[in-house]
Amino acid sequence: MIAETAARGPLRRLSDGFVRLGIGIVAVGTKELRGRMRGRRAFAILTLYLVLLAIFSWGIYEFQRDAAAMNAFTGGFGVAPVAIAAQIGQALFTGLLLVETVLVIVLAPAFTTGAISLERERQTLDLLVTTPLSSLGLVIGKLGSALAYVFLLIFASLPMAAVVFLFGGVGPDDLIKAYVLLVCFAVGFGAIGLFISALVKRTQVATVLTYLTILALTAGTWVIWYFLYATSGVSAPGGFIPGTGAATGRPAQQMLWLNPFVADMDLVCVTSVTGYSDACLVMSAVTGKPYFGGSFGTGECPPGVPCSKPMPMPMPAVEDFGGVRLPANGAAIAGWAADGACPPNARCVAPDAQLLDVAPVDQTVTGFPRDTFWPQSAIAFLLMAVVLTLVSARLVMPSRRGSRLTRPRRTPRPAP
Amino acid sequence: MTLAVRTEGLVKRFDGTLAVAGVDLEIATGEIHGLVGPNGAGKSTTLKMLATVLVPTAGHAAIAGIDVVKEPDVVRRVIGYMPDSFGVYDDMKVWEYLDFFARCYGLPATRRRQMIGDLLELVDLADKRDEPVQALSRGMQQRLCLAHTLVHDPSVLLLDEPASGLDPRARVELRELLRELRALGKTIVISSHILPELEELCTSVTIIDHGRVLASGRVSDIEARLRAGAVLKIRILGGEVAHEAAATYFRADGLVASVEALDDGWLEVAFTGDDDASSALLTRAVGAGHRVAIFSRAASDLEELFLQVTAREAVEATAATVGASR
Repeated sequence: MIAETAARGPLRRLSDGFVRLGIGIVAVGTKELRGRMRGRRAFAILTLYLVLLAIFSWGIYEFQRDAAAMNAFTGGFGVAPVAIAAQIGQALFTGLLLVETVLVIVLAPAFTTGAISLERERQTLDLLVTTPLSSLGLVIGKLGSALAYVFLLIFASLPMAAVVFLFGGVGPDDLIKAYVLLVCFAVGFGAIGLFISALVKRTQVATVLTYLTILALTAGTWVIWYFLYATSGVSAPGGFIPGTGAATGRPAQQMLWLNPFVADMDLVCVTSVTGYSDACLVMSAVTGKPYFGGSFGTGECPPGVPCSKPMPMPMPAVEDFGGVRLPANGAAIAGWAADGACPPNARCVAPDAQLLDVAPVDQTVTGFPRDTFWPQSAIAFLLMAVVLTLVSARLVMPSRRGSRLTRPRRTPRPAP
Repeated sequence: MTLAVRTEGLVKRFDGTLAVAGVDLEIATGEIHGLVGPNGAGKSTTLKMLATVLVPTAGHAAIAGIDVVKEPDVVRRVIGYMPDSFGVYDDMKVWEYLDFFARCYGLPATRRRQMIGDLLELVDLADKRDEPVQALSRGMQQRLCLAHTLVHDPSVLLLDEPASGLDPRARVELRELLRELRALGKTIVISSHILPELEELCTSVTIIDHGRVLASGRVSDIEARLRAGAVLKIRILGGEVAHEAAATYFRADGLVASVEALDDGWLEVAFTGDDDASSALLTRAVGAGHRVAIFSRAASDLEELFLQVTAREAVEATAATVGASR
């Protein structure tokens, strides 16, 4: 049998490894899902989750309906009146995204933080170790089955999220981006729970540590970043056009990559109706780029920023409240240039013109691609998940890896 | 013929404490081998190293000629391991439990179905197929855990205290089951600190204490080797004073290691001589006026063997300490 193993080529070994990995993932995944989906609990959680989300969305709608009507009537702050519907749609999108983010970063680790430590506590890990089950297959199976349920929760909310299309202001691409981001959060935070579960012996300790880690990644990174930002003198927080100060003093945006809420802000900013919102303010402070549609009418380019003049500002294609003309598909954002000329890449309507083309404004209209942060954040979450999963696999089965790490160094003490 | 289990100088150290201090084992194929020793003797650690759960600090171990450190994955296909305190999964039915482990070994679906039926039949749980695992009694769970070690038809079974916590009837059933498995050609290594449990079952035993092998071999061989050192049970008539006097008399004898005075005139004498010597001792004692009512060599069962071996060990250790301090 030894000779047979030794005779295998490296390719054969590799393919054997993959087969074993697959077997492990399927075995553990099947077992975990059987357990998780059995009984009423899984469906009770799903129902409760959807009911909460529905109540929350309704609340946003009621609140925004009044606020948006007021805003649209007064015309806001130096900004042309916006479509009420678009504002409601955007608020719903923002609310759902944030609530789902919270649910994902709380639930995903909740399902994985006992994955390995419970096996230890129930003393079933030894049973698994003595099977040819691949340790990577075990942890991926655990993570996968936990995530499968979180994904079910995430995607079950899709019909609810699709309500935003009724109001407009948010395009299908925005929603797709949001769900991609949520999936990445789930994978990342699930992996954190798994890793800590593999690291710590007891489930209770693992759970506490996991949620402390989440707190550190969300509130912690933001507090530290904001402290550095506020003391750096780069720009007064809340400044109108951040990013014009010394670039060297700005705290690295990389430290916020694993903060899910900052990535959320990036998506929220993109959908903001006027091109100006608190979310955009946050993002421009984080990235050091002006996230707004240029310089609000003056046509000036901020110094040190590569932009082409004139910088048009994306505006809703609705010019007066008296007879609000909502675009046909409800997703109208067009822009006009400060000097009245349409920039080359943009689709514009004159302020008094009939609404002709309702395609969303092109990114280049603003002079900057505005949603560059969230893909970086998503990739950071996925990379972290891969690394943590690999480390977890090593932690799970000490004997397999340990044979190389803890090679007997000392000669045995002669028996007394 | 390759030995089913072979270890050489197996050592396991945990943070400075020596759990296993150089164990040499040789177990032939087809044996039911008992690892006997008090709690903390290193039985479980030895079995875990054989089962590839722990990596030895030093020494070698091989199952069916395959090194457990170099080829753990190959070893895992040859062994079935049952840990001493095994957990059960919640939310799992009996057949799913076996199905899961069968999947871990990559068995195809058709074979899994067939095998699960056969195994449940073997461990007498066929009617519990769809029950949740946690609803089974402890004995049933233990049988189920034993069944799980068999899903891949291993040639060597490593069972750590499989009978602990079982009622006598379940124990008898387990014994029958293990005999059946032996008849199927499997080598079984079974650990226990309860000796009667192993006595009828094992073809050979290893007595372990403080991480070292004290004796190993067939029960009859060990017995023969220990024949020289036996426990004599002696009953003295004549009341308290005579009892005391007899105890003192025996204690003074050169071949007597120790004397324990029990109630009702009984004495337990650890005797290092052979049968001739014990006969001479009796003659001398009677000649000295001690009223010996009963004089017998204690029946040498495993428990007795074990006590003797560990007692002798203790005496030698003391002697070594005394010698060293001089």
